Amino acid sequence: MKGRYEDEKLFWIPVLIAAVFLLPFLLKGMTNSYRYYLYVLNIAGIYMILTVGLDLLSGYTGLISLGHAAFFAIGAYLSAILVDQGGLPFELSLIIAPLLTGLFGLVIGFPALRLEGMYLGLATMGFGFIVKRMIIALRQWTQGSNGLQVSSPHIFGFTFRNDWDNYFLIYTGVVLTVVIARRMVRSKLGRAFMAIRDSERAAEAVGIRLAKYKMISFFISGVFAGFAGVLFAHTSHFISTDHFDILLSVYFIIMILVGGVGSIYGAVLGALFIVLLDNLAIPLFKDWLQTFITVEAGDIQSLIFGLIMFLFIIFQPTGLYGLWLKVRIYWKLFPFNPRKRFS
Amino acid sequence: MKLKMSLVGITITLLLVGCAKKELTPGVTDTEILIGNIQDLSGPMKELGYLLPAGANLYFQYINDQGGIYGRKIRMLVEDHQYNPQKAVAAAKKLIEKDQVFCLYQVIGTSTSEAIIPILEEYKIPLVAPATQSGTMSRPLRRYIFQTDTGYDKQMNVLIDYILRQDKNARIGLIYQDDNYGANALKGAAEAEARHKITLQKESYQRGASDFSGQVGNLMKGGATHVIIAGIVREPIIIMKTAAAMGYRPQFLGLSPTMDHRVAIAAGPAGEGYIAANFAPLWNSDAPGPVLYRKLHDKYADPKTLPLGMYSYYGFATATVLVEALKNAGKDLTRASFLQALNSLDYKGGSFPDFKWTRTNHGSSGKVVLVQVKNGKQVEISDWLD
Repeated sequence: MKGRYEDEKLFWIPVLIAAVFLLPFLLKGMTNSYRYYLYVLNIAGIYMILTVGLDLLSGYTGLISLGHAAFFAIGAYLSAILVDQGGLPFELSLIIAPLLTGLFGLVIGFPALRLEGMYLGLATMGFGFIVKRMIIALRQWTQGSNGLQVSSPHIFGFTFRNDWDNYFLIYTGVVLTVVIARRMVRSKLGRAFMAIRDSERAAEAVGIRLAKYKMISFFISGVFAGFAGVLFAHTSHFISTDHFDILLSVYFIIMILVGGVGSIYGAVLGALFIVLLDNLAIPLFKDWLQTFITVEAGDIQSLIFGLIMFLFIIFQPTGLYGLWLKVRIYWKLFPFNPRKRFS
Repeated sequence: MKLKMSLVGITITLLLVGCAKKELTPGVTDTEILIGNIQDLSGPMKELGYLLPAGANLYFQYINDQGGIYGRKIRMLVEDHQYNPQKAVAAAKKLIEKDQVFCLYQVIGTSTSEAIIPILEEYKIPLVAPATQSGTMSRPLRRYIFQTDTGYDKQMNVLIDYILRQDKNARIGLIYQDDNYGANALKGAAEAEARHKITLQKESYQRGASDFSGQVGNLMKGGATHVIIAGIVREPIIIMKTAAAMGYRPQFLGLSPTMDHRVAIAAGPAGEGYIAANFAPLWNSDAPGPVLYRKLHDKYADPKTLPLGMYSYYGFATATVLVEALKNAGKDLTRASFLQALNSLDYKGGSFPDFKWTRTNHGSSGKVVLVQVKNGKQVEISDWLD
């Protein structure tokens, strides 16, 4: 299925990366509120890192996780505690905290060897609840449900103080994540993941060790979520268990569904789309709607998210990225478009 | 050529005029002051979320009808954080960056208010009257937070002192919400325990819980004669009804968030005699604040959508504090002049017990009055205690 898209032109990648890093300057020139938009983009960037990891697990290996908010929380709390209470330099925490989170991924990977589909989803969901309770119980370090103030990121003498600085840190992380993930899915590892997704029995028959690769998939996904958690904790300066609930895990699933399951770029697009929708489009829609009825953003948010997921699954199961590919192929073949292919 | 030059000239002039007109202080124009408020409008506390800003708007409308503050009318934007600290951060950034509000006001919740402290410090923007009575808002001193309410920790001390004055041999139980609200109540409980050399029987619950039979059963077994509830509105109702159904009738008491008239109404006979601590005069009392509140409610509000009660009174009361500080800041309103006015506010407006903010103290009077449900109605039963 992937092979079809391998005609990518690599030339666009540096252009895209340059555009990402020029965007803040463009925004600054365009609007006074640029720092708010950068903040929204920063949140999107953090979620991109996480959803790319989730896509490796769910989209490529076919293992569902409703517990990714928990990995996200573990990364965030570990780094906050290691840096602010343990005195670990942020540079090191950026590597150590995600790796430790990955180990938690291994722990949850064990039941994954025996559970499938919905049952795995339930197990990971349970993991999410356990982690939340654990964070509250370990109040000596986490301050329980009070939430924890976290220091700013500090790398080689430079402190990232505001959303402008954070943007460059976070999007460097996004670029690295995407490059690594793209590389991974094109390697033996990625092929093993996809083989497991498509048919476990067939994969086993060709000599892929299911247990090993499923565990690796959970580990890697945990590392990505942990990395996102570290960036989240230090750029938002405050973490609390209220944020890392089951709903957040569901949003992550929506992000990869909307973006296109099993495509790294899709996960990125999905995270961007949902965060922009949540922070910019829904408030506008709410204001418009409020001219007719009294309604709150939170109330319509769930409604719109549910509706979007519903519509995407029915009409656009390959997500935004699939849509983009279709459009691209359409123009490439124009005017010789075999109608059937795009219906 | 001449035309071109004059066009350039006109453009430059327009730009200069545009720049000159550009306001220096965000949220302040010659005719308006823009205030940002963050409530829980669709989360676990949404039953309170709309009441606070509605109460505040009663007073803002009253001030605006008199011509505003130095000709500037107050306009308040309300954002929804759903009791999620991360959403509170997003809402605060939106209000400050995008909507360019002058200051923040009445952000509800302890963890949500704490989450935005780094933003207040980054932008040097004050938060007036956060809608939480957690003592952590003003102790230790937060440079940009100004609290009008008496802390939960102090309230606990007052309640326990009161119980022991009534009954020296009282056995006191506590049901608290297991979060930073409860933590601040526990802090007060620990202080009182040390002072009186007693031990409270403590039972916790998770925010959003609706079954308290375990906690009530434990307190019954422990023989608690007085039970303090550190909950909000729903919890005391369910707890008292559960206890009544179990045939357990201790004296119930509660912290200020439970001081809502709906507790008295919904708990029915089980809630008769319920005592709650209140950090402001009772909304139906004859103190000057409540009298003006009821007058403005008559004038501006539709009682169907905005019933009289503690939470809308609370919004009203904090609005009087905000307006007084805005007035004191003078005609040339800037964040610096406003901060100076806040740091020297000597409040005698009658909607709260008198208090004084200084550079080193942004806390409240530290006083509470006790309110009891008698024949289904709330009445004040004590003087101001501290």
